[in-house]
Amino acid sequence: MKWIKIGMPVLMILISLTFLIGSFAIPKATLGNPNGPSYFPIGLSVLMLVLSIVYLFNELKTLKAFHEGIKDLMDKKTLRLIGFTIILGVIYANIFERVGFFVSTLLFLGVLLFYLNGMKKWLINIVVSISFSFITWYGFSQLLGVSLP
Amino acid sequence: MEGFMEGLLTAIEPINLFWIVLGGFLGTVVGMLPGLGPATAVAVLIPVTFGMDPTSAIILMAAIYYGAMYGGSRSSILLNTPGDGSAIAATFDGYPMAQKGQAGQAMAISAVASFIGGIIATFGFIFLAQPLANFALKFGPAEYFLLMLLTLSAIVSLSIGKMIKGFIAMCLGLLLSTVGIDPQTGIHRFTLDNPHLSEGIDFLIVIIGVYAIGEVFYNFLTINKEKKSQDKKSNMGKVWFSKEQWKRSKWPILRSAPLGFIVGVLPGAGGSIASMISYSTEKQISKKPDEFGKGAVEGLAAPESANNAASVGAMIPLLTMGIPGSGTTAVMLGALIMLGVRPGPMLFENDPGMIWGLINSMFIGNIVLVIINILLVGLLVKVLKTPAKVLYPLIIMLAFIGTYTLSYSTVDFYLLLIFGVIGLLMKVMDFPIAPLVLALIVGADMEQNFRMALVSSNGSVSIFFSSWISVVLLILTVLSLFYPLIMKLFLNKKSAN
Repeated sequence: MKWIKIGMPVLMILISLTFLIGSFAIPKATLGNPNGPSYFPIGLSVLMLVLSIVYLFNELKTLKAFHEGIKDLMDKKTLRLIGFTIILGVIYANIFERVGFFVSTLLFLGVLLFYLNGMKKWLINIVVSISFSFITWYGFSQLLGVSLP
Repeated sequence: MEGFMEGLLTAIEPINLFWIVLGGFLGTVVGMLPGLGPATAVAVLIPVTFGMDPTSAIILMAAIYYGAMYGGSRSSILLNTPGDGSAIAATFDGYPMAQKGQAGQAMAISAVASFIGGIIATFGFIFLAQPLANFALKFGPAEYFLLMLLTLSAIVSLSIGKMIKGFIAMCLGLLLSTVGIDPQTGIHRFTLDNPHLSEGIDFLIVIIGVYAIGEVFYNFLTINKEKKSQDKKSNMGKVWFSKEQWKRSKWPILRSAPLGFIVGVLPGAGGSIASMISYSTEKQISKKPDEFGKGAVEGLAAPESANNAASVGAMIPLLTMGIPGSGTTAVMLGALIMLGVRPGPMLFENDPGMIWGLINSMFIGNIVLVIINILLVGLLVKVLKTPAKVLYPLIIMLAFIGTYTLSYSTVDFYLLLIFGVIGLLMKVMDFPIAPLVLALIVGADMEQNFRMALVSSNGSVSIFFSSWISVVLLILTVLSLFYPLIMKLFLNKKSAN
């Protein structure tokens, strides 16, 4: 639990530092004020950096306090579910254009439903996957004129 | 009057009537389902609006928004679980009413209260929008910049107890909005020589990522914890209220509508705050304050009227100034920009048909919704039992397809997942999401206005103090920053008394 509590502010500090360093690398403008494009990013990244440091100290003060959200997140089942969905999403991205919209969506939806809803409800899972894959395909490609692979 | 009739004709076109009914129904459903709100619904449906006429698109999105205000209280009353933030106040007295066997009456009074709130607010819209648009014509770049600053600081400081995190989210949103080619000088910023990044980060992907994927991931945290015992026999009783109940609710409803409307118009505040203020106001002026929280019918009616009125009011700054005051209206702005519509004072000059079409659609939509929410109560209760485990995969699927229609590229699927995880982490760590999204959408405009103001004054910051409008906006911004402190002092004093 502790590392997430510290990790989040540290991540924010890193993001603001990245933007701050990046801001100084912005080339000078040839039009108008040469530093015009970098004022806004510099100001904001400094502000974000300061706030993130304050946030870090706030978290350090309450490091031992119980946080229900983190506990729920760190639950093995939850992590597995989120990880599974992400991996499935990556596979979906890779097969979407290759095997076409209908088949890839049917697989994506079907596998996710079976994982989440359980094998016992196989009938609902199959009916929902097929009908919703078809409805979205029909709605987008036929009614809205979106060209789908 | 001419505009009104023209708008009425637009709104009753069959296709628009279809969008009103569909939007209202969908809004009711997502409003009802715990964990999903109007912002998620609009975000998921953004791709559907692409092929649409902009007027139909705004009619649909608005219907989802106020539909969610009707729906939110269904689950507050029946399950003691608010569908979204604006429905929290409805649990205070709505659920106790249901426990007393008055669920049907609670459903009916809340639908009627929402209806009256919505209609009164639509009249408010007619009277306030045009003058506000005319007033906004006086705004120069400096005033616009300050107005955006005020909106952002208000939305952060109203997320009480999360101010630091809110400002971090805001800074992050603003920084992300600077990625890409600077429109004033053509200089590449933070693009890492990647052509995909030179067009900037597509805010619609961020919106769909945090509001659809992030929300579903967040709901995964509790998906296996749901109590099974909630499947009580839904003994609704009669779905209408008694004369006595109406007598008690009448004035609270009528008082809360203008209150909610004004709160909705204010930057940063929305339905959640409107309903809370109206609840506590009614409790304070009630002759029977002890009955509040134990099933007082006016304690349910008042916030329901207020939150629906607020959702109508929130449309005003969006359309007259192009500045959204809440998460949902920010998402709506994103969709409108995609459709090539730039909301702002000129919209009233250039496209009055759109505004009047929207106004009329809100009258019709509220009538449709009160009917749906009273007559179809049985169906809605069934929908409420839809297993979340079936619903969430569908939302994720729609989010992916919506993203695909934005750029016809599956590369964005990865971005979508990344922002989904960012949204999840922010929710877990109690970061408010709205400041991030709002900042990302108004960020580019905010910076351009800031720099244009400085160019016009030859670099002198005095431009930000030069008009009375600027000064007022600055004072309000400072006040909004100290608002949490002021509230704390006020509450301490009150408890000391």
